[in-house]
Amino acid sequence: MTTQPAKRITDIGPPHYDQMLHPVIKENYGKWKYHETLKPGVLCHVSETGQKIYSVRAGSPRLLSIDTIRWYADLADKYCKGYLRFTSRNNVEFLLDDPKLIDPLIAELNQNGFPVGGTNNAISNIVHTQGWVHCHSSATDASGIVKSVMDELHPYFISEKLPAKCRVALACCLNMCGAVHCSDIAILGIHRRPPKPKHDILGKTCEIPTVVASCPTGAIRPATVDGKQSVEIVEAQCMYCANCYTVCPSLPMNDPLNDGISIWVGGKVSNARSAPAFSKLAIPFIPNNPPRWPEVVEAVKNIVEVWAKHARKFERIGEWIDRIGWKRFFELTGIEFTKHHIDDFKHAGLTYHTSAHLRF
Amino acid sequence: MADTKYETPMLDELESGPWPSFIKELKKVAPRKPMVQDLLGQLEQSYEEGQGHWKHGGIVGVMGYGGGVIGRYSDLADKFTNCAHFHTIRVNQPAGWFYTSKALRTICDIWERHGSGLTNMHGSTGDIVLLGTTTSELEPTFAELTANGFDLGGSGSDMRTPSCCVGKARCEWACYDTMALTYDLTQSFQDALHRPAFPYKFKIKSAGCPNDCVASIARADLSIIGTWRDDIRVDQEGVKAYEKAGLNIERDVCGRCPARCMEYSGKLMIDNRACVHCMHCINAMPKALRPGVDTGATILIGSKAPIVQGALLSSVLVPFMKIEPPYQELKDLIEKMWEWRDENGKSRERIGELIQRMGMRNFLPAVGLEPNPDMVFHPRANPYVFYDEYFVAEEEGEAQA
Amino acid sequence: MAKPTIDEIANAMFDMVSQYDGKKNLKAGDLTKAMIAQYGEGNCTKDECKQAIRILMDSGRCVYSYFGGSFISLPKTEGSAPQ
Repeated sequence: MTTQPAKRITDIGPPHYDQMLHPVIKENYGKWKYHETLKPGVLCHVSETGQKIYSVRAGSPRLLSIDTIRWYADLADKYCKGYLRFTSRNNVEFLLDDPKLIDPLIAELNQNGFPVGGTNNAISNIVHTQGWVHCHSSATDASGIVKSVMDELHPYFISEKLPAKCRVALACCLNMCGAVHCSDIAILGIHRRPPKPKHDILGKTCEIPTVVASCPTGAIRPATVDGKQSVEIVEAQCMYCANCYTVCPSLPMNDPLNDGISIWVGGKVSNARSAPAFSKLAIPFIPNNPPRWPEVVEAVKNIVEVWAKHARKFERIGEWIDRIGWKRFFELTGIEFTKHHIDDFKHAGLTYHTSAHLRF
Repeated sequence: MADTKYETPMLDELESGPWPSFIKELKKVAPRKPMVQDLLGQLEQSYEEGQGHWKHGGIVGVMGYGGGVIGRYSDLADKFTNCAHFHTIRVNQPAGWFYTSKALRTICDIWERHGSGLTNMHGSTGDIVLLGTTTSELEPTFAELTANGFDLGGSGSDMRTPSCCVGKARCEWACYDTMALTYDLTQSFQDALHRPAFPYKFKIKSAGCPNDCVASIARADLSIIGTWRDDIRVDQEGVKAYEKAGLNIERDVCGRCPARCMEYSGKLMIDNRACVHCMHCINAMPKALRPGVDTGATILIGSKAPIVQGALLSSVLVPFMKIEPPYQELKDLIEKMWEWRDENGKSRERIGELIQRMGMRNFLPAVGLEPNPDMVFHPRANPYVFYDEYFVAEEEGEAQA
Repeated sequence: MAKPTIDEIANAMFDMVSQYDGKKNLKAGDLTKAMIAQYGEGNCTKDECKQAIRILMDSGRCVYSYFGGSFISLPKTEGSAPQ
């Protein structure tokens, strides 16, 4: 090692994507004409020039060791001239110009426990957050639930037998690092108990006016507790969003007795057919039950299977529910409708049913 | 179990089953990474107790940067000393998440030397996430990354790492070059990305068509969604081939068109002036239908997750804009909205919330745009309206003077 | 008022950060608005403030910090780390 410090390099941005593109992609950039699905997880894109690129999509746990990434690189060298990519749902895609290599690649992926699929009317990978592996505000784990749910939904990843796409996502708290709020099925970690102020240190660690202002429901007031500057929580007004905890670590929210999972359905981001939509509450609370969260797995599977049985071709979960109505959704899935399903935050009245259009 | 320090019976249950196991991933590196051994120990304790054990705070960047590093500390540091520090480094991904095997190995080798060996490919915003290192390794990691052509991504109150769909690299529906735009914006706004100067974060996502594979309408303050304004290109023979293959075109394509702008009786007839550009018919028959050739993007503004004032989807700002280098119209618009937000925004307030608080009537003039019916589902239904001026009768004016 | 140099703006910003240390977290925007108010709009621009902040950061006199948003602070011994 040299003792002379190297010149500091900053603000260079990412490498140009041009360096990362398969020659067939580079040559046909912007010239793609159509694509077809050869089998679940295998796409063939055809260019105006007649050239073809084959994509083989494999599921991934998202939390990857560098050992696995190096193995991906080896596979890319062996089958893809060294080129690959990742998808917006954390899958890996191998890019081949030789169709004869598709089946050997799939065989090698499967042998090592990496399923191929996730295209079209499949359930693709669950977009998710960090959970107990890395996050400070999580009300539940992320990777463990995703693993458990995907073990159960695996047959739907490797096939395309569903009526439409079904996007499942998980966020371990309301910060929602991921498009959980617009997913066909959203698994959302929630807190259910107001924060417990650490009065002895709060005044020293946090700006009290900022903490008070952070609350969207006005549930935090300045207070002097045992002679120390702190805050009090108007518990009846707290909706457990944890925004105060993000600005002030002396307001912890974690509480194993009360933290858990809620399930939301019917959202989407694509504009295809119906407009993009938020997911709506299906199941207000399921306790955390590690390591495999069987109640969550069962709830998700039930929703998928009831939808798959009743939906028409191309109907995503939200579109299916729009047609049959929410009452029928709760009947068919056997999920109980409770007071928690009726909104009571801002603009709640916009969700009340202001018509006599009812089904009996 | 000889390879790990702690018994992890609960985590071990997550090694079986057909889906790839993240616990197996942890255990692959654990034998040579004491940090990951302790991570397994702490995670097992979280599973036993039903709660996480991480604290945030402190470190946010390398020297000179205010973004790209997430400081993370264990609250069980006395017990799990090797993961007392477990910081994340966000590395700006190549547009479209394309890699060569060589580039991936470079990242792996750097992370072998300086971190836990654990990653996310990729994080929710799009970055390569290098998961778990100590404070003292941050600068050496950064030096090696930049020496190899990589740079950090965003975090905190900055422009977050822009991301995009695969675009023209491998999709026939891309209505503009998402990867070229994303690369250009990322390079043009390096300072905004690395040195947080905003009231709060700002995310940009570019999707090549209304299918929006990067969820830009739900996850980006600025959503750039490709579209076209001429006619859908139709290959009638191709349509017939889909019918022959068993697709019920009248029921499942025309019947599902939200604008009801198409009919089929041996020939597909589309009223393109009525088309809302949803993509359904094109998705259903990709070999027969294609977007038009007069392409560009719809610019939408304001989406975000629930914190603080509730979740928002992005809404239309510019119905159609040509997206071509040097992208000056778009960059000017972005800079104007940043300026308005810097002037008026509060801490932790996203631009969508700010627009709701101050009204489109304040936002639109600030960014130089005229009101347009495409911006709303319908005109207001409530009669409480702000008017900027009112007339004063002459005698009233004189009396005041 | 005379037009300040970038270094003078940086020094004034540093004084402000020091003065508020432990009392109020300041954002880049807070410093910028304060400097423009102090020196007058004609004498101090947003861009000059940006350069001044960069001088503070690149020299290590100040660091960025995060409390639910990004702030400009004095360098600290590591916040949550064990001593």
